[in-house]
Amino acid sequence: MRKWRLAAYGRFMAAAFAANVKSVIEYRVNFLVQTFGMMLNNAAFAAFWAVLIGRTGAVGGYGFQDVMFVWGLVSTAFGLAHILAGNVRQLGRIIMEGSLDVYLLQPKDALLNVLLSKTDVGAWGDLLYGFVVLGLLPGLSLERLALFCALAVPAAVIFASAFAMAESLAFFMGNSQGIAGALSEFLLSFSLYPEGVFGKGLRWVLYSLVPSGFVAFVPLRVFRSMDWPLVPALWGVAIVYAVLARAFFGLGLKRYESGNRMDTRV
Amino acid sequence: MAAIVAENLSKRFILRVRPQGRFAALRALVRPERRIVDAVKGVNFSVDEGEVVAFLGPNGAGKSTTIKMLTGILTPSGGGARVLGLDPARERKRLAWSIGSVFGQKSQLWFHLPPADSFRLLGAVYEVEPKLLRERTGALVERFGLAELMDVPVRKLSLGQRIRCEIAASLIHAPRVLFLDEPTIGLDVVARKEIRRLIEELNKRDGVTVFLTSHDMGDIEKVCKRAVIIHHGEVVVDESMKTLKHRALSRKHVGVRYARPTSMDLPGLSPLKRTEQSARYEVDTNRHALRDVVRALAERGELVDITVEDEPLENVIEQIYAARSGAEAAAVTRGGSA
Amino acid sequence: MRARLYSVAASTSLRERTMYLGNFTASMLTYGLFVFIFSRVWAGAYAGRSEIAGYTQSMAVWYFIVAEITSFGFGRYFWGLSRDVKSGQVAYQLGRPYDFVAYNYAERVGGSLADAAVILAEGLAVGFLLVGTPPSAGGGLGAEILRGGLLAVSLLLAGSLNFLLHFSISLTAFWLEENDAFYWVYQKLVLVVGTLVPIEFLPDTVAAAALWTPFPYLSWAPARVFVAFSPADALSLIARQLAWVAFAVLLARAVFSLSSRRVALNGG
Repeated sequence: MRKWRLAAYGRFMAAAFAANVKSVIEYRVNFLVQTFGMMLNNAAFAAFWAVLIGRTGAVGGYGFQDVMFVWGLVSTAFGLAHILAGNVRQLGRIIMEGSLDVYLLQPKDALLNVLLSKTDVGAWGDLLYGFVVLGLLPGLSLERLALFCALAVPAAVIFASAFAMAESLAFFMGNSQGIAGALSEFLLSFSLYPEGVFGKGLRWVLYSLVPSGFVAFVPLRVFRSMDWPLVPALWGVAIVYAVLARAFFGLGLKRYESGNRMDTRV
Repeated sequence: MAAIVAENLSKRFILRVRPQGRFAALRALVRPERRIVDAVKGVNFSVDEGEVVAFLGPNGAGKSTTIKMLTGILTPSGGGARVLGLDPARERKRLAWSIGSVFGQKSQLWFHLPPADSFRLLGAVYEVEPKLLRERTGALVERFGLAELMDVPVRKLSLGQRIRCEIAASLIHAPRVLFLDEPTIGLDVVARKEIRRLIEELNKRDGVTVFLTSHDMGDIEKVCKRAVIIHHGEVVVDESMKTLKHRALSRKHVGVRYARPTSMDLPGLSPLKRTEQSARYEVDTNRHALRDVVRALAERGELVDITVEDEPLENVIEQIYAARSGAEAAAVTRGGSA
Repeated sequence: MRARLYSVAASTSLRERTMYLGNFTASMLTYGLFVFIFSRVWAGAYAGRSEIAGYTQSMAVWYFIVAEITSFGFGRYFWGLSRDVKSGQVAYQLGRPYDFVAYNYAERVGGSLADAAVILAEGLAVGFLLVGTPPSAGGGLGAEILRGGLLAVSLLLAGSLNFLLHFSISLTAFWLEENDAFYWVYQKLVLVVGTLVPIEFLPDTVAAAALWTPFPYLSWAPARVFVAFSPADALSLIARQLAWVAFAVLLARAVFSLSSRRVALNGG
């Protein structure tokens, strides 16, 4: 009877998405300001790298184009993660305040349900930024565009999974906002700087707990040499992170305490 | 067939306590202090399909925790539950197809959007075919009188209107069991009456099993056939509303007011309240015939007014607590209802 | 003279700020992470060379540590002020018997002295761990003490300048509901002109032009006082900071009197 699970989830996502777009349409000024701020921030760092690399040549193995590619890819992946899983950064708060109840009462996978139920419209700016950068980099081709997309999707899944895991700590500790915020900040910050400047010991962390390696370092290597065969491996890694996040969330769910706070879905 | 069964259902919460005093944060890190709270201590009850059952108890008695275990939100720490033959903790998703729930304090409607959008989204969540969804939505809109509300953002609805929408929304997938946690909390009298009427109709017309928690005795007296009372995590009463009412009906409150100061001493009865010209008595009709009491009072002086009322259900429950768990329980209830 | 009022306002807000140490953890974490990553970036940039534009690797790291103090220690005025303007809180304060600019300065900058001190201490500790002792002040203990004093003065001036500019930008909320964009532009200019890299790294014409803007005096000036200390240079930098602060005071007063006229006309 319910054979077409994927189709059903697809329909659910489309409906959630439509509802979200409507509910944020009144914040379009906010969206424009946010996108403007993001562009400005990225431009400021682009200027920084242009100045530095102009003085010294490649830093930690990254030339200016490499830096721009990484910023573009991370931005697109980060944006995609927040468009699809708009609740991911609120997950800890949702758990803590007991707002998970509503999702648990519905016949959907709880983690997917809570994550997909919201979209972050501001993230469209981040998503587009990567494509703008790609367009500005020399040698644009259909193949490079395809590879960029093929790299951005697993990176987005890894972003969402890592954030979801960090936020799921809320099941186990009283207030995990601080540590979850820190983990997210680490992931984003380390991804945006050249792999070569970090020491060996740290790199272990960057390919596990803080998976910057898989959202930025490896994708850059793949993109530089158009190394398609490595792409499935990255998708595999993304699936592993997603499965881990799902398992960790499930483990926490058994300990869910469902606080009693008045709240509404915004 | 039993729609809901709870067997030794228990929930223990382990709370982290923030230690006080010097180096508190450090001590918390080394050896965190914990406090164990048994919110639900092995409750047993069952609800037949088609029944409307009230689940009562003062604040913190374990009502919400129980209802959350029955709907799969919380995992029990002992015992178990079956709802429509499924284990809510293990088969949450399967169960969700056939139950509906309204938690007065947790909204499933989107705050900034009109209910129509939430209905569409819930239709997708419950995989209701678009055509069927339109039919059901239409029927619910008519029945719950939502025609004018469907296109108004939820944030602009009154609480009563919102709860009506919430209940309608919880029926979009035609559930067989409906859980209502404090559905009338914060509503005015008119809105309450309306909600009660809807619940009654839902049960009578569609045979939906209703499991309802409430503080409001009115909800329960009017709507429910049976009451389960929980206190300190344990079931203290499980009987038909009729029996419960019968107990209550054996006690009457008699109020009198005289034209001028009158001596109102009655042998064997002491007034609950009295002034020079008025008094209020609680009369146990098993011991004193009501007729005798009224006649005796009428003979004392020139009556201005006399009233006879059923004892409020709160008091009945309070007395049951007092009988079951001693004076402490009664003190807690009084403190809670004050 | 209302000196007493302003000093009470400053010390009250300072005490409130220090009541709960958790207030600082988020910014301390971000700052520490940033300093660490930049120390690694500089290590990468200095691979195979000993200086860039007159800076050694150690100088560049210490430059970054000091240059970021203004943003992290004296940083969030815009949000608080903007919020107060939009919520009408400011209109209410206008009727009080004190100088609005001076009172806000005392309260807000006074409170952030705690943040600045915490960030400075963290910066010194992290810097010491990452690249060892800072470049010497070049004249024994006396010079070190003089440098410390002048650094404190320079940081305080940088913080004051930052407050005054935030103040002027945030008051545009009286005219424009969405004034965040102005702030973003300002903040990114602060970042690029003198914070992320020393001014000397910028192309010569850009660097020369930048010295005529207020931005270097928020970050570059205190950082120079610390990493390339000479009493004469330090005093010259401080004098220029003072000039910019004086200009910013006039600007803040002008914007304020325009906006309070607007409140008088529109009733807030």
